[in-house]
Amino acid sequence: MKFFLSLLFIYSFTFASDATIEVVKQAETLPSIAVEDATYNYGDTFKMQVFKALVADLNVISIFNVDRHHRMVDYDDGRVLVANKDQDYVLRFKMLEEDNGGLMIQMKLFNHDTTVFSKNYKVNRKNLYVFVSHAIAYDINEYMGKESVAWMKRKVVFSRIVAPRKSEIVIADYTLSYQHTILSGGFNIFPKWATNKQDSFYYTNLNGLKPTLKFLDIRNGKISNIIASDGMMVCSDVSSDGQRLLLTMARDGQPDIYTYNVISKKLRRQTFYKGIDVGGHFQNDDSIVFISNRLGYPNVFSKKLGTKEVEQMVYYGKSNSACSANGQYIVYKARESSNVFSKNSFNLHLISTQTDFIRRLTATGINEFPEFSKDGDAIIFIKNYKEQSSIGIIRLNYNKNYLFPLKYGRLQSLDW
Amino acid sequence: MKSIVISGVVASLLFFSGCSEKAPVVDTKASTPTQEVVKEAKPVATEVVSPESSSVGSNLNVMKLSEAEGKLTSIYFDFDKFAIKPAMQGKIASDSEVVKMVSDTYGVKLEGNCDEWGSDEYNFALGLKRASSVKKALVAEGVDASKISMVSYGESNPVCHDKTQECWAKNRRVDFSLLP
Repeated sequence: MKFFLSLLFIYSFTFASDATIEVVKQAETLPSIAVEDATYNYGDTFKMQVFKALVADLNVISIFNVDRHHRMVDYDDGRVLVANKDQDYVLRFKMLEEDNGGLMIQMKLFNHDTTVFSKNYKVNRKNLYVFVSHAIAYDINEYMGKESVAWMKRKVVFSRIVAPRKSEIVIADYTLSYQHTILSGGFNIFPKWATNKQDSFYYTNLNGLKPTLKFLDIRNGKISNIIASDGMMVCSDVSSDGQRLLLTMARDGQPDIYTYNVISKKLRRQTFYKGIDVGGHFQNDDSIVFISNRLGYPNVFSKKLGTKEVEQMVYYGKSNSACSANGQYIVYKARESSNVFSKNSFNLHLISTQTDFIRRLTATGINEFPEFSKDGDAIIFIKNYKEQSSIGIIRLNYNKNYLFPLKYGRLQSLDW
Repeated sequence: MKSIVISGVVASLLFFSGCSEKAPVVDTKASTPTQEVVKEAKPVATEVVSPESSSVGSNLNVMKLSEAEGKLTSIYFDFDKFAIKPAMQGKIASDSEVVKMVSDTYGVKLEGNCDEWGSDEYNFALGLKRASSVKKALVAEGVDASKISMVSYGESNPVCHDKTQECWAKNRRVDFSLLP
């Protein structure tokens, strides 16, 4: 049901507002694909859950026109079903129950009646099926030779506000189909993966006298204190090698950006403006982008680490209060309406530091907290629209947005 | 994939280990007179008297703290601003008088808050700058700066949940909290 709801969101919000003529033409020429189910030892409900997950993932990789009919088949039949004979590709899958409650999924990909790719997948519990679905879509995308969708297999960590000053930190897949609340009780926000392996994360704890940056190792459940600051303490970004953090701290009530080396424990202040400097993101090894109100309103700036020169990066938008960078590209949140309390208030935009290129990425609601995937192929963000909090995914190369709504609570921040 | 499974296994451990609430605050001043009584009492009597007098002392302090907090009023701000409005100067003056009266006993924590327009760091920083503005105003009124700590809760601590401008205005505020 969640996947269908998500797809409904896609059509109602994205295509209506962000689709271009170019993309419509592209959709007409995409190869077709159908999914055939060869499972006989699970109930219909579970079989349909997995089928829908596969259909949704095949849609998100954006390289097929996906047929939505669920059809049963014999896994070993060398030909595709007659009903699918006109499809360019057919994905056939079969689920097998393991002795220990685990799940094995066999799959093969047909190009007409020829098997062109096959693979088996295992998970220890059947409720992790959605990660198999993501892995199958990833592998098919790789087989087709398209831009990597490695972000599909990554986990999302997010904080969810459940009551005033009460939050949960949750680990999920990118569609929110799988959710595991790893930290609950108290007020813990701004989670940030500590390593590319996603086996630990930093977060801000606001339960004590001073905001404190903590580190949680998922492998053993151990929590340790990293550093504390009066007023404000956020880990805004982690370097690709995991050794340097960009922190927003507020010693003496003054929010500024600091670098912190997790090996040497060395802390270095990087911004010195008397107003607000927050939200640093690595642009590359020696430069960052960040948000500052040094022009009287929040906007995006960049600077080389260790120097004092600051460069304005964005010249559009009345209030640009969040950003993320990936190489030459910067995505930022902008308030566009002249009425600060209108319903259409905050949208995401993409710019390139090499050109004057500006691209509007969203059209409705409050869109915030953009984060690039590691390979820059996609952007994840938070969308709040009509009391509904969702995770959004933007496929930059395909000009498509996908939304995955949260069942309860409100998304505060996320990372992937 | 294994890490997912492992995270499930340690989930219950994390649930409890990670959700520690604020540590109980020990009121050292309340226990001081008790220690003097204990010195004069016999060992057996000490075991009885000590907790009773500690308990009475704690209750008295809790009452004073809540009474003082009740006299402190929140300071409200304009949208995207952290300067104190002229209309709030009277509240600053009365709040500083209350803080000065109790500052020998309590510290004061200024909690900056914002309306719902964004959960990003900028909104948290805005809440903090509001708290910082109030701190400077209190210090200007004679409050000891070392007695003041600050925190920002961004948009995560609303007192009003309606989608109206009046409601959002109530959430753009700095609250006072006294610390033993």
